[in-house]
Amino acid sequence: MQSGALDAFKAQYPNVEIDYVETAPTDMYQKLPLALQAGTGAPDLACVESSHLAQIVALGGLADLTTQVQPYVSQMLASKWSDAILDGKYYAMPWDSGPVVFYYRRDVFAAAGLPTDPDSVSQLVATWDDYLNVCQTIMTKTGDDCFANNKANNYGRLYEMMLWQQGLGYYDATGKVTVDSAQNVATLEELKKFWDANLLSDQLEWTDGWYAELAAGGTTPVATVGPGTPVPPTVKPVASLVEASWMGAFLKGWIAPGTSGLWGVAQMPAMVAGQARSANDGGSNLVIPDQSQNKAAAWALTEWLLGRPDSQVAIFKASDFFPSLTTTYTDPIFNEPDPFFANQITRQAYIAAANIIPVGYVYGPNYSLMNKYVSTAIQKVATGAASAQDALTEAANSIRNDTGMP
Amino acid sequence: MLVAADSTGKTRISSSKPPHSLWKEIVRARWSYLFIFPFYLTFLIFGLYSTLFSFYLSFTEWKGLGPIKFIGLKNYISLFKDKVFIQSMENGFLLFFMYVPLMIFLALVLAVILNSKHVRGFQFFRTIIFIPYIMNIVAAGFAFRLLLNQKYGVVNNLLTGIFNIAPIPWLESVWGGRVSLCLLIIWAWLGYNMVIMLAGLQTIPSELTEAAMIDGANPVQAFFYVTIPLMRPVILFSVVLSLMGSFNLFNEVYILTGGGSMNATITPFVDIFGQAFGNFRLGYASAMAYIYFIILFILTLFQVRYFGSRVD
Repeated sequence: MQSGALDAFKAQYPNVEIDYVETAPTDMYQKLPLALQAGTGAPDLACVESSHLAQIVALGGLADLTTQVQPYVSQMLASKWSDAILDGKYYAMPWDSGPVVFYYRRDVFAAAGLPTDPDSVSQLVATWDDYLNVCQTIMTKTGDDCFANNKANNYGRLYEMMLWQQGLGYYDATGKVTVDSAQNVATLEELKKFWDANLLSDQLEWTDGWYAELAAGGTTPVATVGPGTPVPPTVKPVASLVEASWMGAFLKGWIAPGTSGLWGVAQMPAMVAGQARSANDGGSNLVIPDQSQNKAAAWALTEWLLGRPDSQVAIFKASDFFPSLTTTYTDPIFNEPDPFFANQITRQAYIAAANIIPVGYVYGPNYSLMNKYVSTAIQKVATGAASAQDALTEAANSIRNDTGMP
Repeated sequence: MLVAADSTGKTRISSSKPPHSLWKEIVRARWSYLFIFPFYLTFLIFGLYSTLFSFYLSFTEWKGLGPIKFIGLKNYISLFKDKVFIQSMENGFLLFFMYVPLMIFLALVLAVILNSKHVRGFQFFRTIIFIPYIMNIVAAGFAFRLLLNQKYGVVNNLLTGIFNIAPIPWLESVWGGRVSLCLLIIWAWLGYNMVIMLAGLQTIPSELTEAAMIDGANPVQAFFYVTIPLMRPVILFSVVLSLMGSFNLFNEVYILTGGGSMNATITPFVDIFGQAFGNFRLGYASAMAYIYFIILFILTLFQVRYFGSRVD
């Protein structure tokens, strides 16, 4: 929020005082529901990730924003709304989106004798099977792992992106559990090819080993994770990473600032050639608890921050949170080359991905429960403890048993 | 209690006497009762009320907000089909058998060694062994995760470098996760148990061990045939605490393994917490808590009966 958007708001609304509190996600998803349940103690305005939004909307206790958001319904990315709606009413205002792209290390691709420009790389990894071949080439030529994906503690983020890009998820439009459907099983089997071929690094996302492999190598004399923690020279870089647009900001900002100029952004692979080469991962929204005494001011701030292209562009510039507000996409900022990505105009790649995100059924009111069971299933498949069909059938049955969904 | 009018005056007098004297007793000791009243107030609200409310919740479906739906025994029936819950119970037993005997034995041996006046700087070693107990388990858990990383962790690098052992998947496999968790628990709780053992040892007169030595026992025999039998009540105390501890494990699991891999290290406490505050299934979580309470109650009773009868 170091964008000046808040200061501009304060200048416009001098009688509104803002107390901005940053909270760790795990704290947030325990404290906010408790405050909603207790009927007191919630903030006037809260930021909720899309993955948890539907669950909190279903819990109740949020202010109905149906009339307020109407002007913005058509201006936001369509994929943002489904988790904000319950029984035809809107309970959240979308903030950023997570259009998924393909991040790759130009230096590793060059060392493997592969093309390094974004368009050629996009063609090279047109499907997940093509990607598997590319991984094999990289392993043979350079010995570098293709990407990091943990087996025994996998929690399903990549699998969810692969489902989302096919318009699938953990349930379908009618509310039926699809965890054990043929397409879901086939998707997990596709991922299994990578594990079986031993082409991946077994680091868990968001842990030190994972950071180190993203920050390894580079042009600086000593590679560092963030500002100063040196990466041991024995750590070899991973060649690629399928992740949402916010990852670019994280790489640049605090995970691997020393690898500037080495990264590129291409399109994520599709399951079948011709399918959408985009998905959504993460993203966030603002909600106003119904118990708030300052709903008008809270909405004024929400609208100021998320509904005004100026604010969204300013926030995007400062933090790289990709706006869901499509009217911003014509701003010149989206045509600026980024030195971290070897002067590629990455934001155009994000827009291209954002515009084709299919409607997915990954999140929803029972996401945390479904993700838990499916993660266990993925762990079993990745470590060879069960087949994809068996593991997902067991997960689906547990989900049906727990939620009563058909 | 007020006594209703009875047919005969005789019974009335006798039955009205105890409540009358109880009230008198309360009035007489009113200041004492006033001073202990805050405990009962908090106990009523946070102890009794929440326990009873949770019992009621176990027959309902509730997200924590909105209407409470009564569903009878449905939660309890689904529980018996809940593989994760059953696994969490099994894990509780497994972990108990994996770390408790080793930890208690180590604690006892260390206590005996450090109880001896012949060890130089025993206070220093006592402090060193006790420090992990007072250290923040969250910080320790993170440190363990770094140490035990399969590819880059210090532990595997040492094992590979010195003994040429292939990297062990400490946190990346079912049994690796359990062993890692036990290592963390033993590291964190050894000092605590050692202090309990030390306290127990100080109640044993040294003449008994000395007499055994004079009769020709070596120190090891004296330890097994004199110290351990005399320490039985203290050991029982530690074992009962550790039994509840291994089912109640939360921080250690939450930080080190998150219950993985494949629920191999999930404990009932972690599972209940996830269902209640991750999935907002408060009714179901309450049912889990009650089943869990009953099992633990029976186990503890059994343990106290079995070991307790042999104490004297």
